[in-house]
Parts: sequence; C-alpha cells; structure tokens
Amino acid sequence: MRRLALGILLLLTHLCEAQFGSAVAFPNSSKKTVLDKSPEFFVLNWKQGTILNRSETPMEIIVDSVGAQKVNIFRDNSDAPVLYSSNIITPVCADGDCRLMHITLYWTLLGDYAGFDRSSEEPLTKHDHDEFLFSDYWKLHELLKDHNSILKRRAIDELVTKPKPSTIEGVDALSGATIKEVKESVVSGALYSCYVAWHLVHGDIKDQIKAFTVAQQTEQMWIRMLNSEHTNYQMYALENLTKNQYDTNFSRISTLFKSGIPLVRSYIIKNLADSFSKEPNKMQPFWDALPYIDINTRSLLLQHIDTASEATVTSISGQLSVLTKNQIRDFLSHLENETKISSEILKNLRAFADSSKEKNSYLVVQFLEDNS
Amino acid sequence: MKKLLIVTLLLFSSISLFAQDVLVEAESFDNPGGWLVDPQFVEQMGSPYLNAHGMGKPVKNASTKVNFNKSGSYHIWVRTMNWVPGEWEAPGKFQLKVNEAVLDTVLGTRSGWGWQYAGETKINKKNETHIELVDLTGFNGRCDAVYFSTNKTTPPSSPKKLAAWRQELAAEPNAPEELKTYDLVVVGGGLAGCAAAIAGAEQGLKVALIHDRPVLGGNASEEIRVHTEGIYGNFERILKKIDTKHYPNGSAESKLDQQKRDENVKSYDNIDLFLNWRAYDAISEENSVKYVDARQTFTGERKRFTATYFVDSTGDGWIGFWAGAEFSYGRESVDTYGEYWEEHGELWSPKEADNAVMGSSVLWGSKDTDSPQSFPEVPWAMPVSKDYAEVNGEWQWEFSRNDLSQIDDAEEIRDHMLRAIYGSFSNAKKDEVNKNRKLEWVSYLVGKRESRRLVGDHIFTFNDAKEGRKFPDGVVIEKRAVDVHYQTVLEDEKNPDFISEALFYRGPQYYIPYRSLYSKNISNLFMAGRNFSCSHAGLGGPRVMLTTGQMGAAVGYAASLCKKYEVMPREIYTGYLQEYLDLIEEQKYEKIPTSKK
Ligand SMILES: Cc1cc2nc3c(=O)[nH]c(=O)nc-3n(C[C@H](O)[C@H](O)[C@H](O)COP(=O)(O)OP(=O)(O)OC[C@H]3O[C@@H](n4cnc5c(N)ncnc54)[C@H](O)[C@@H]3O)c2cc1C
Repeated sequence: MRRLALGILLLLTHLCEAQFGSAVAFPNSSKKTVLDKSPEFFVLNWKQGTILNRSETPMEIIVDSVGAQKVNIFRDNSDAPVLYSSNIITPVCADGDCRLMHITLYWTLLGDYAGFDRSSEEPLTKHDHDEFLFSDYWKLHELLKDHNSILKRRAIDELVTKPKPSTIEGVDALSGATIKEVKESVVSGALYSCYVAWHLVHGDIKDQIKAFTVAQQTEQMWIRMLNSEHTNYQMYALENLTKNQYDTNFSRISTLFKSGIPLVRSYIIKNLADSFSKEPNKMQPFWDALPYIDINTRSLLLQHIDTASEATVTSISGQLSVLTKNQIRDFLSHLENETKISSEILKNLRAFADSSKEKNSYLVVQFLEDNS
Repeated sequence: MKKLLIVTLLLFSSISLFAQDVLVEAESFDNPGGWLVDPQFVEQMGSPYLNAHGMGKPVKNASTKVNFNKSGSYHIWVRTMNWVPGEWEAPGKFQLKVNEAVLDTVLGTRSGWGWQYAGETKINKKNETHIELVDLTGFNGRCDAVYFSTNKTTPPSSPKKLAAWRQELAAEPNAPEELKTYDLVVVGGGLAGCAAAIAGAEQGLKVALIHDRPVLGGNASEEIRVHTEGIYGNFERILKKIDTKHYPNGSAESKLDQQKRDENVKSYDNIDLFLNWRAYDAISEENSVKYVDARQTFTGERKRFTATYFVDSTGDGWIGFWAGAEFSYGRESVDTYGEYWEEHGELWSPKEADNAVMGSSVLWGSKDTDSPQSFPEVPWAMPVSKDYAEVNGEWQWEFSRNDLSQIDDAEEIRDHMLRAIYGSFSNAKKDEVNKNRKLEWVSYLVGKRESRRLVGDHIFTFNDAKEGRKFPDGVVIEKRAVDVHYQTVLEDEKNPDFISEALFYRGPQYYIPYRSLYSKNISNLFMAGRNFSCSHAGLGGPRVMLTTGQMGAAVGYAASLCKKYEVMPREIYTGYLQEYLDLIEEQKYEKIPTSKK
C-alpha cells in the first residue's frame, strides 16, 4: 500500500514538474540552527530555557523534482539527541493544479511525529488558494499525530468518491467528496496537502530515524525517556530497561503506573508480576493506585491478590464500588479460599451488601448467605 | 406443545404440601406482541427470554392463556432484571396483567437476573387465565418466566439451583426423547455453517443444520447486517449462494441477500434445517462426539442429534467446549508464536498473554424524516455514552474489556452497547440539525468477532499469513489484509470505551491448512468459522465471512471423504489428501446432469 501511495505521489509530482522552477530558498525558521523555543505545533513537552543545536545526519528525504531534503538532528547542551527535523519543500498537485508546500517537520527520537513549524512566508493553501487558517494547521497537526490514519491504507484516488450529487452534502468541487472518515480527519479542501504531509512524516524515514537513535542509545537516554510525558518514550524505556534498572527507577515506574495511559500501566504490571510475590511490601504504591486506574489494569492488578497483605485485602473490601462485577467475583472467591475472614472485612462486606445504590450488591448478599 | 412449557405440578414436598405451582416460560407465550424472543444468553441466565426492544417506544403487549387445575389465591413472581441498576429509574420497566387487572408492581427493577414478586391474585380454574406483559418504556425490559404458586416461597435464583428447579417442575428426563440420526451435524448457521452443510449435502451426506435464529447467515444476516468480505478461494460456486453484496454495514439491503441465502440452503433435500433450535449440550465418549442436544427456542421442545461427524460453527466453539475439545481464549504472549510487529508493539501482541480479544458490536442506524421526532431522556445511558453524539453506528462501535468474557458476559456487553447507542443518539438529538431524525433500527443481537478458538493439529498464526506460508493442505486462500482491533480507550482514556480501531497488515496471499479445521483431541469434530484453530493475531485476517465460508465448504467436502472411507478427519490429511484436493478442484464447476450430456 505504501509503495502504491508513493507511486501516485511520484506520478503526481512528475506530471507537474514542468511548472516549477528551481527550489525556492526556505525562509527564516527553517534556516535556524538553534532551537530556543518549542516548534509551533508540537507533541512533546518543552522545558523553559531549553536550547537545542542543529547538526547534520546522513539521512535525507528524496522529493522528486525538488531533490534531497536533509534530515537534521537537534541536540541539547550535553550533546544528547532530542529531536529530528527536516525543512521540506515538496510539490502538491491536485487535478493538474500544482503548488509547492513548505513545512518544517519534526520527529521524536523514535521516529514518531513530533510536530511542525509553518512557514511565515509561504503558508499552506487550500484548493482555491485560500491560505490555511490557524484552525487548519491545528487540524493538520491532529492528523499527523494519528500514526494509524486511514490515509495510510488508501491510495489517494481511493480517498475521494465521485458522488451522486444529491446524496452527499458539501461536494468538494475540485476533488469530489472525500469519504466520511477521511473528511473528518483532513483539512477541508486540502486533502492532497494532508496526504502528502502524512506520508512524508510516516514514510520510510520513520524507521531510519529510529535506527539512527538506536545506534547511539544509552542508559541516560532511556531514563530521560522514562521520565518524559511522551507515551512512546515511556513504553520504549520500559521495554529496554533491565531488571536492575527497573529497581533503581522504581519510584518513577510506580508513578507512571498511576499517571500513564492504560497500555503503559498494563505493561508495567505484567513486567513486575514476580515482584508481587517476592516483595509484597514494595508493591504497596500499586495497590494504593487501585481506585484510580482503568478497569483492564485493575483486573491485572487483582490477579496478584493472593500475595497482598491483610491490610491491602481489608482496604479493597472497603472499595468494592470501584470494582466491576467480575472483579468483585474474583475478590470474593479469594476471600472464600481464606481460612478466616476478619471482622473488619465482614463489616465492609455487609455495608456494601446493604447499600441500595450498588448495582453489584447482590453478589455480596449471595456471598454472605453462602458463607455465614 | 404448550404442555411442555406451562407446567402444572402438585409438589408433595414437606414445605409445599399440596401447593399448586404453574410456571409459564415467557418465550412460549401464544402471542409475543412486540416483544422479541432473545435466546442469546441461555448458557448464562438459563433460558431464552422476552425482550421489549422498542428503541424507546413501548412495544405491544405479549399475551398468553393458561389453564389452572386448582382455583385459589396465587402469589406471582416474574423472573426479570433491571439491566442498568443505578441512580435513575430502571430503563426496562413493565407490568403484568392477569385477566382484566394490571398488577401495581412495576417489574424489571431488581439487580441481576432473579425473581421479582409481582403480587397476589385470585384464579378460577373454570376459566382460562389470560396473562399479558405490559411494556412501559420500550427500552429492553426483560421477562424470562412468570411463576404462580399458592405457596409464598420465592423460587431459587442461583443458576444451578434454578436449573434443577426448572427441570423438576417440568419433570423433564435428562435426555431428550426424540433421536435424529445424520451423517453430519452442523451447529451454527453463519456463513461457515451454511457452506459446510451445502458442501456435505452436495456430496450426498445426510446433513442436519442446527441454528438458533429464524434466518441463516450469522453476522451476515438481516438481523445483524454485516456485509461479507474476503475472497471466494476454491469455493466461489457455493459461496455465491450465501454471500452478500457490499452494502454498508447495518444497511437494510441485507434483506435481499437474506432471501437468496435461505432459499438456496433450503433447496437441498438432504439438509434438514432446524431453525430456531439452539444446541445446549454435546456428549462425547472416548474423545468422540456422540450426540448434540438441542432445544427449540420458543417451545422448549428437545431433540438429540447423533452423527458420525460434527461441525462446530457456532462462533463460540460451544460444541467443542461441551465435548471437551482443547481451546484457547485471549492473546498469546508475543513469544508464543513470535507474532511481533514492531510498528504496533504491545497493541499488536503483548509481552505477556492476557484476556484481551477483539470486541463485539451492535449495529444501528437512524434516518431523516419530514417531521420532528422525539426521543426520550436516557439518564441511565449517559455514564457510557458521556457526551459522544452520533446518528449511525459502524464497525468501530465495538466493546471488549479484559474482565469481560465475550461468551459469559455477552449480555452485559450487548447492554453496554445499547447504552452507548441510546446515549449517543440522545446526545445527537439535542442538536437542532437532528430534529427530524428518527432512530430507525438497532440490532438486539450482539455481533461477535472473537471468543473461544478450538485447537487443531495446526494453529494458524499471524506469521502464516504474513509469510504467505504454503501448506500441502492449504485449502482456504485469502488475500485480504490482516486486521486486528483494539479499544481506543487503551491509548487515551478520554475516548469512549466502545469505539475501536483497526491495525492493518498488508501482506501476501495466504493459506489456511486443513489441519486447522478439525479438533486435535476430539476425533470426529470439525470446526469452521471464527472458532477455528488459530492464535489471536492469526484470527485477524481469516475471521471475515467469505474466508470462514471457505472453511465451512472445505470441511463439508472433507466430511464426505471421511464417510466414504469410514475414517476420522485427521486421516484425510494423513491418507487421502490428494483425493481431497482433487475433490475440491472438481467441485468448482456445476455438474452437467447426465440427461443433458
Ligand atoms: C460489526 C462487525 C463488523 C464486521 N465487519 C465485517 C465485514 O465487513 N465483513 C466480514 O466478512 N466480516 C466482518 N466481521 C467479522 C465477521 O462477521 C465474523 O467474524 C464472522 O461472522 C464469524 O463467522 P462465524 O460463522 O464463525 O460466526 P457467526 O456469523 O456469528 O455465526 C455463528 C452462528 O451460530 C449461531 N449459534 C451460536 N451458538 C449456537 C448454538 N449453540 N446452537 C445453534 N446455533 C448457534 C449464532 O446465532 C450465529 O448466527 C464483522 C463483525 C462485526 C461484529
């Protein structure tokens, strides 16, 4: 699919090559060799006072009819790599109407989309040469963030339908009506620009960038990633840290367990499965997070109930409202296997069973009936 | 027929000495009115039930007549549940009318399936007693049974005790009395089951096709409305008899293909079609299935089916499960079969195995009309839909969560989707542009993608698809990209939990070996459909309906060779493979009748 898309891109560019002169010099921001503030559209956090210096890499993106566009790396003052970037000039053609698109793209260390800067002198335009509004740039940013966009799986000509005029609202005269899912994700009237930009960002360069980073990765880099707010960084660090490094960074990991996205949380808990039986006390922060985490992770956590301390079990018995039906069932069957149920737990169970507002109270009623 | 269901008994037990009891199963009411018979969750809640699926408009009364043997004052219980208990009025409320009187108690208001006391009434045995269910909301009130007793003892609620109680009341023997014998019994009439039945029948097998719905096709039926995808592979001729056109999912056009499919399957003299029959048990001896027991979903009548070979195409692998076949559920760890795909990491294949599976969907749609249309407030739906607003559903409306089994918790999953739908539609209605929109259709059947997968001699994996691995017995062929779904809420907790996303892997043409289509440890059991032998990621490609249809056809032909040589499915691979492949090749073309040669 990717090859097909590239083919069409090349075809389009080839068709309109004749209309361009030589590549125009890129204006101001793109010339920057030092970044002292965040790119305008950016997915990572930018710490105040950060200064990044640009250096070259051997990587480039070939844009037919315009030539090679260099991919640069930005490093901080300790020389650690932070960001990749490229100043792109590329033709965008739709139905024989071609223009040059100027944009500075940024990638994370793992080759994911990091953001872009627009060009103040050469703004992006829509089909009838209207300039992009700020909201259009924002939408483009949202689109580029979606690494799994529908644009990935479709060739450009599959993204427009030639509609029966009466049935589809808002027919885009130039390109036909964009199909619904696409319509929602691209800038109206700028499907081709969006398509080209998305494929530049998520094209082969992605893997090259990641490989470039991997070749120079260090423990410090992983730790920085672990401490970042960026999910893919967190995940990458978690995947790479050794058992020892998990231990030394335990505090950050237990914080992430509460604040991360569900995918990160579940990864952590699966990785720490052994620690629950070996070091029950150390795992207390995980149990403390029980009411705050998503349901899937909570189920994974509850799989370790057999190794939890008495205090933890008692505490959970007082939080049954946050558990789902099956989680309550699992918890009760854990209690059933215990030789003795403490009076405090019984008190909590009774309170839950008596509550008229709890939809799952009937489970506890049945349990108390069977076990009294 | 009625007498099987409305059971009148004198129980000579110490507690209820000379008590008079009458149990009326709701699904066998004379006239269900606007209520629908819902048999999807019998394994979990015990019985088919009546469901007031009015999409917000109260449905017409269901009614029936009952004869009592003894006059007197009777206590009445209704087995029901409040399907969304919480700090609002129950969504599915109804009342019971006995003869001319509507009982005061509002039913459908207790948490969890169980008996709700409805009141007391006088019954005169000389007159037929008339019972009606009066729906109050149109939002899926449910009634499983109505129980009358002169004794005020609540019937049991716990599933086990209830089943025994029901059986005692009905005085049913353990085994069904009627025995039917076939060469091949196919259970589940989705595309896979239909194709298996046709292929077997064409080769002269005497086939029973047992299906729990009134129409064939499973997810492709007009009741669920998914269009068939995939290629025909070796079985174009057969699959064209049962497939669908490429209308949008949820489109009412599925009705056209429904007719074609049903007529085609019915045209085979040697297929005995048991529509509205649900298998409820499979008994095996020495690792071989001996019988499948099934029950009519309205009348409760039972039959026992015996055969030399069985096909499990129930989607949920029920026959295999009951017969003791090996099965799996959930995602394997990435190392189990090396199904790593860097681009999507954990989302694609996890470091450690877990219970995650692709979810189930309920399709729905609305339409614009010429006049304003009202829609009731649905506070009980809001915790699920939140501020999500939509006027139509599509395949992305999908729900799974690791603590929920797509089999055991299917009712909760369906109900979650109903809340998502009603809530989102209600939100959309608040927008002036949707003033004239009318909720046109909401399925009440849950369309499933993944649950139990029975284990065969070969477990088909993502790598088999990715590498286009060739097998000597590769009888199913597919080109469609592999796609596996995940819930978007896993990446961003602000997303609704009922919307999924697909990860597509575009690879070469791939093949599924015959060895993935029969059970490893139950010698006479084939499987076709999403419950075939595969890993979680392996199911990503072949779960679509033409591919599963190919599996069905492949299995039907294999069964005919099994019969010819009196062997078991495995032996077709070890001893008769070439003949099997030749048979598949030969069937591609319509035979010219000898008279016309
Ligand atoms: C919303 C949605 C969109 C999808 N999109 C597509 C698509 O576009 N194209 C595509 O091809 N596929 C699509 N799929 C996937 C596809 O529909 C399923 O994977 C496929 O239907 C599985 O086929 P099956 O024959 O195994 O099961 P089913 O189609 O579910 O058929 C099994 C049948 O067996 C019956 N049954 C179950 N248990 C019993 C029993 N004990 N006794 C009697 N009968 C029983 C059931 O009622 C059911 O009808 C989609 C699925 C969903 C839910």
